[in-house]
Amino acid sequence: MAARTVSPGGALLRASRMFAIPAPIPPPPDDGVLASNFSSNTATLAYPTHQVITTLSSSRKQGDWGLKRPLPLKSTTKSSNPMLRVKAIDTIEQITDYTSATDHGITLRKFQELGMPLTARRAAGGEQDEKTNTLNLPQKSVFEESLDVTDIHPDKRAEAIETRWKFDGPWLAGMTPGEFNKWLSKEVRPRRPEFREFLKKKLASEMHANAAKVALDKGEEQPAPIDPSSVTEDQLVDYLRQLRHNNQALYDMVGQFLDLAPLKPPTAAQVGIPGSNHRLEFRETKSPYAAGGPPVTHPSAGLSYLRTSMYMDNHPVYGPQKQQPPVVARILRPRRPAQAMIARLGVAGFIVNTPLGDTAFNSRSGQGALYDKIDPDLDGGAKVWVQPQRAAVDAKGRVVLSVTDVSQEAVLVAQELLGNAACLGVKPAEKEMNRVETSSQIRQRFRAADVPTMSSAQDYGVRQ
Amino acid sequence: MSCRQWLSSAARQCQSALAQQPQQPRAFSTSASVESFRRIFPDNKARPQDGSAPSSSGSSSSRQASFRRTFPNSNRSAAGRGSRSTNPNEALHGLVSDGMERGGPLSPEEQRQVMKQQSTQYHVKDFRANAVTENYVRQMPRRWRTGDVYAPRDMSPYEMSKWRQGKSPDTDVVDVLGFNPLDNYKNFSIISEFITPMGRIKHSVDTGLRPVNQRKMAKAIRRAIGMGLHPSVHKHPEILRFGRHGVPTASVPTPTDLSQTRL
Repeated sequence: MAARTVSPGGALLRASRMFAIPAPIPPPPDDGVLASNFSSNTATLAYPTHQVITTLSSSRKQGDWGLKRPLPLKSTTKSSNPMLRVKAIDTIEQITDYTSATDHGITLRKFQELGMPLTARRAAGGEQDEKTNTLNLPQKSVFEESLDVTDIHPDKRAEAIETRWKFDGPWLAGMTPGEFNKWLSKEVRPRRPEFREFLKKKLASEMHANAAKVALDKGEEQPAPIDPSSVTEDQLVDYLRQLRHNNQALYDMVGQFLDLAPLKPPTAAQVGIPGSNHRLEFRETKSPYAAGGPPVTHPSAGLSYLRTSMYMDNHPVYGPQKQQPPVVARILRPRRPAQAMIARLGVAGFIVNTPLGDTAFNSRSGQGALYDKIDPDLDGGAKVWVQPQRAAVDAKGRVVLSVTDVSQEAVLVAQELLGNAACLGVKPAEKEMNRVETSSQIRQRFRAADVPTMSSAQDYGVRQ
Repeated sequence: MSCRQWLSSAARQCQSALAQQPQQPRAFSTSASVESFRRIFPDNKARPQDGSAPSSSGSSSSRQASFRRTFPNSNRSAAGRGSRSTNPNEALHGLVSDGMERGGPLSPEEQRQVMKQQSTQYHVKDFRANAVTENYVRQMPRRWRTGDVYAPRDMSPYEMSKWRQGKSPDTDVVDVLGFNPLDNYKNFSIISEFITPMGRIKHSVDTGLRPVNQRKMAKAIRRAIGMGLHPSVHKHPEILRFGRHGVPTASVPTPTDLSQTRL
């Protein structure tokens, strides 16, 4: 039985590193968009919820993971990648609840091998598919100063709405009617008196600004700021009436008060035919999260800290390459036109969108035929070379990776690096690399230089 | 002993020759097409000459004549192989001579034959590959979505079997959509969704509704049937008609008027 009082050992344990394991974050929601009853509770989640911990190989041999008790060697020493996630450091049965975390750990490693920066504009995927007209739009890194502002003064939050990614209030377009009604009754309705105070403050500052402008025009002294408590109820009711006839101003007030995430203005088809007496007006927003909702984490999700992919890959023999090195994609599911199912590609452990437009993925013959069938004779399944284009994290925390066709030359160079193919120019370099030099040859080479850089037995007078 | 050795070495030679055949710089495998040509046009003795198909005999004999023109030696080599089939060297010679003769350009007639035969072969191959693909796809019921993370374990049969069996929904769709079922008794799409094909009200285990909403939904169904708006022993005929044509039916619930709800 565990000791009740905190012993010195217990105090040490409380101060230990492993007590600093963060609390798990909520798992990705089962979106009702799919409306399917098919799911698995043990499938790999779209993002990790627990921290992955690792240990040194010498400690692993002793079962020492820095936890309360050593872990069983039988299940923790077999893997070549020591990665675990601890669900509970201690349970009532006095065991440590842990599972392997190689799924997300290795996925992160593979993603970082791609060398992809994460971009802010939602590329594709999720509930909206990529369209051909959005294929090549310029992307912005999530670490740009104009998008990644976290330290904002509480009074300046309203101005920074276009540059923020974190909001206290919800993104209204992503709420279901049931959720919206519940939020309205539970969260918004009790705050009505508070909102009136907020409006009074706004009205007071507005009145002061007007008075100051008039005074400036007349060349008089600047008036003192108006106290919000001096605003009468009649003035407030008049102000409310004004706001009710200006939908954008009213939304600005409500949005500032509740700190709502920016919304993309509705299209003409969504608004419908405006009535004769009431015309809705909307302002465009520059926030990249207005169309798909703000992300649940930092928009990079900690996957990559690169800011750009505009660098050239330098090949040891051929020099700078036009394209980044291509990667191998796994064809997880073939294209089934009869069932209206597209091919599913997996790159670095993520399911990616098959590219649109005139690419090999969409052709019916040639390489495209590879996507139509499963060949059980292929060892490890069918794979194709693709060029990763950009990556983004969508509003639900899923990584949306876009790939495109790859040039044959890039594939050949990449294959050659793997040793599966041979190009023309590599032969001399290979020869040079594999040339066997004896020790006397090396010595002669260095002795030819003016300054002797390598000593020999003769220099020391050991051998004549 | 020595005899067996000779035979095995000869057989090896023969095999190597066969293995080298497809590497010839021709668009098709020589040995296979020669064999298939023989299958299409058997010898005169084997072919029925009783004139049972007089309309086709003329065309086929002319085709055979053109075939003989292009392969004057084929009958001889086949006969030679047939008579001395025990000698692998002879067979090898026959193959080589076939290959020598096939060195010239193909006549258009022959090209047509080869193309036709190859296309049928492709069809059979396609069909077989499609069947194999279908079988494998059936073993992978998971519908992957963009952004899913997969590990080797997700491809295991155990994991895949979980995606095959449907589960009852664990979210209350009425709560999510925020509508009152009693206001929607005229919406036959909703009513049909919550009854079985035989017209019985679905259990809350299958609908996933919480007790309050299940009672409301059941009342709406009973009301629709009692008013004669909805059949009691099957789904609505419009739904059945759409279902037969494979058209998905969308049911948009009437939004509840907010002024009437007590919040």
